[in-house]
Amino acid sequence: MVKIVTDSVSDIPAEVAKELGITIIPLYVRFGSEVYLDRVELSTEDFYRKLTSSRIFPTTAAPGPGEFAEVYDKLAEETEEILAIYVSSKFSVVYETALRGKEQMKRKCRIEVIDSLSGIMGEGLIAIAAAKEAQRGANLDQVADVVRRAIPKTHVYMCFDTLEYLRRGGRIGRGRALFGSMLRVNPILRIKDGAAHPVGRAHSRAKAIEKLYEFAKSVTNIRELAVEHATTPGEAEALAQRLNPIFPRERIYISTIDPVVGAHVGPHVIGMAVLER
Amino acid sequence: MQKRERVGRVASWSGQELRGMFTTATSWLEKSAPDIDALNVFPVPDGDCGTNMLLTMRSAMEEAYHASDRNASAVAQAMARGALMGARGNSGVILSQIFRGLARELEGRKSFSGHDFAAAMAEGAILAYKALTRPVEGTILTVAREASFAAQSACTQSEDLLSIMEATVKAARDSVANTPALLPVLRQAGVVDAGGQGLYVVLEGALQYLKGEVEEMQYRRPQVVPSSMPLVSRIPSAIEKEEPYGYCTEFVLEGRKRLSPDKIRKRLDNKGQCLIVVGDEDLVHIHIHTFDPGKIIHYATSLGMIHQIKVQNMDDQHKDYIEMTKAQAPPADIATVAVVSGEGLTQVFRSLGVTAIVPGGQTMNPSTRELLQAVESVPQERVIILPNNRNIILTARQVPGLTSKKVEVVPTETIPQGVTALLSFNYDADFETNASLMGEAISTVKTVEVARAVRSTSIGDLKIKRKQAIGFIDGELTSVGDSPEEVLWDVLLRLDTEGSEVITIYYGKSTKRSTAEEIVDRVHQQYPHLEVELICGGQPHYHYIASVE
Repeated sequence: MVKIVTDSVSDIPAEVAKELGITIIPLYVRFGSEVYLDRVELSTEDFYRKLTSSRIFPTTAAPGPGEFAEVYDKLAEETEEILAIYVSSKFSVVYETALRGKEQMKRKCRIEVIDSLSGIMGEGLIAIAAAKEAQRGANLDQVADVVRRAIPKTHVYMCFDTLEYLRRGGRIGRGRALFGSMLRVNPILRIKDGAAHPVGRAHSRAKAIEKLYEFAKSVTNIRELAVEHATTPGEAEALAQRLNPIFPRERIYISTIDPVVGAHVGPHVIGMAVLER
Repeated sequence: MQKRERVGRVASWSGQELRGMFTTATSWLEKSAPDIDALNVFPVPDGDCGTNMLLTMRSAMEEAYHASDRNASAVAQAMARGALMGARGNSGVILSQIFRGLARELEGRKSFSGHDFAAAMAEGAILAYKALTRPVEGTILTVAREASFAAQSACTQSEDLLSIMEATVKAARDSVANTPALLPVLRQAGVVDAGGQGLYVVLEGALQYLKGEVEEMQYRRPQVVPSSMPLVSRIPSAIEKEEPYGYCTEFVLEGRKRLSPDKIRKRLDNKGQCLIVVGDEDLVHIHIHTFDPGKIIHYATSLGMIHQIKVQNMDDQHKDYIEMTKAQAPPADIATVAVVSGEGLTQVFRSLGVTAIVPGGQTMNPSTRELLQAVESVPQERVIILPNNRNIILTARQVPGLTSKKVEVVPTETIPQGVTALLSFNYDADFETNASLMGEAISTVKTVEVARAVRSTSIGDLKIKRKQAIGFIDGELTSVGDSPEEVLWDVLLRLDTEGSEVITIYYGKSTKRSTAEEIVDRVHQQYPHLEVELICGGQPHYHYIASVE
């Protein structure tokens, strides 16, 4: 069976990953001289607590090529085909490093490395779709085909209280258009072609979240849907309930935004990922 | 400096007074330099026009204080030399030419008269034009020319330097206001020419010295001349032009033998763009945009020593500039034009990414023509107009029939409706969708307005005395009281805030922030579930405009 590999930015809940046999490679989060393996050595909750209380601004790092090679080699013991899907190369060097990792493998194994051009559960939903396809017995080429077709059909929206964290991290692309408003507005960005783009703004957080709902409503053919939060599980659950008439609540994944992403977007983000059929 | 008392007319002025005039002008310019820097629209170079002119003036004045003599001639020569040595950027170099004209005209004189000053201004303007191979109108050059022309006309009326200077300053101001009419790039950027503004400030500073108002100047600051054209926010059309610019190369050449600025100019003419060669036999200031600064410098060193060399890669600057404008430019190809008055509200709209602002509002309704001009001046082919006032909607509706551009009027009747409409702009959606999204958004906000009655009247059950405060909800008169604060509070109490989340209060020109803050405290106490934003709107007429959504 084709083995699916992704990084911790994909935000796939641990139980889902386990059930679908998805291998998750953690990135690193650093506060000053303290370095943690993302979600392995530092839980999401602890991270956001640290983010809001620590004076040090966290930084993040991708694993080295050797670490990718190690994971691939280990999987190659039990499979002949691996499909790896990673966070947009416009946000991170993970994809580039993973390609180099492939070259450093000791074992022989067919392996396909794909740039998701997305992140958080957008990347996650693509990996989930791939894993489901693999479980149905598809071979590597078939799974890769599913993934490539899913990429342009993946939409990720995020609403923010502030773009300050994103500005500091420099990963904002054209989202800069939303800077410097004199009113306190909640900007909404989407991931498009691998980068963050502005979508709109709202004059309150509730209105911004309502806009996420509106976006989901405008998609006619939803295959997978995920709602995410950083520190506000209540809001994520409320949004999932609101989305229930559009897509059954029990099929909506609820997840938390990864610390690596959190380090760049800040503590109060609400996210939504939609995969179209 | 002391306030000077002058009795009667003074026919002639000394070198010390000349120095005084421009020392005062320099400190006046210093206050304005950041504002002038902000006016700059050209991508490269001279990014900081105000700072460049200030540094040029400082260098001129430093020399002036080291002049060999205190007579007018010696001071003017020293200033001219200092300005030339210290000249930075295009505007600085041109400014230095005006001092050169002054020096020429005052040569050999102990003192000078109003007539001499007018003649010197004229000489300076001629030299400034000569300095450029291709002079452009709508810049500091035009301001220098028109100001010197006014100075000469004033000579026929009076010999008094003060009244000549007054005419000169007034003409400079009018000329600055008119620069956007002459130079399209200014029009698009919605600013007056920075160099022209700088020259106006310098002349105005000198005038204040002559008036003996040096003391009072401490408490004032120069104002940027408003454009005579409608204001358009900054979206320079240069964004798309990404051709290389090369290096901005600038230095002062001190000749080993006698120099000929004309010969140097001819020699360098085809070596690059924006060539400026100014100076005299001893000292020449050279400014050129070239792909090969080495060649230029090599040539110059064959003629003498070079000083104050500055070589800047304009492509790097341009990249930064492109990044900067990308950040400010509205995404998509849809422009928004809004009618707004009040400095704070203007800033609010700009910060929300409005493309152009037409000043106006209650009792200051802009004409169809002004709205049309704004629509025409934006680079986008699709334009949404936000009238933000009931009395302007009809005027705005005339615009679509008068232009080849596609124009939609979203009928916003109040400022908060305009803000809400602008906020509902969807960067992903097309023109029609956005126009209808913005239209739908209008109903999601309630507008509160508080003003003072201009006459006594009674409307419905409400009796209103002149100057009483009156409050409106969505244009309906709902409350009358003695103070605007009392009325605002009363109106807010009447509003159903159930389900609302944010109250935004824009306080007007005639309202103190501390007074407005008291209202904010009361709202916090009464409605703990509401977020309150307080913003200095600076609008006329309305003491308060508030939105509840």
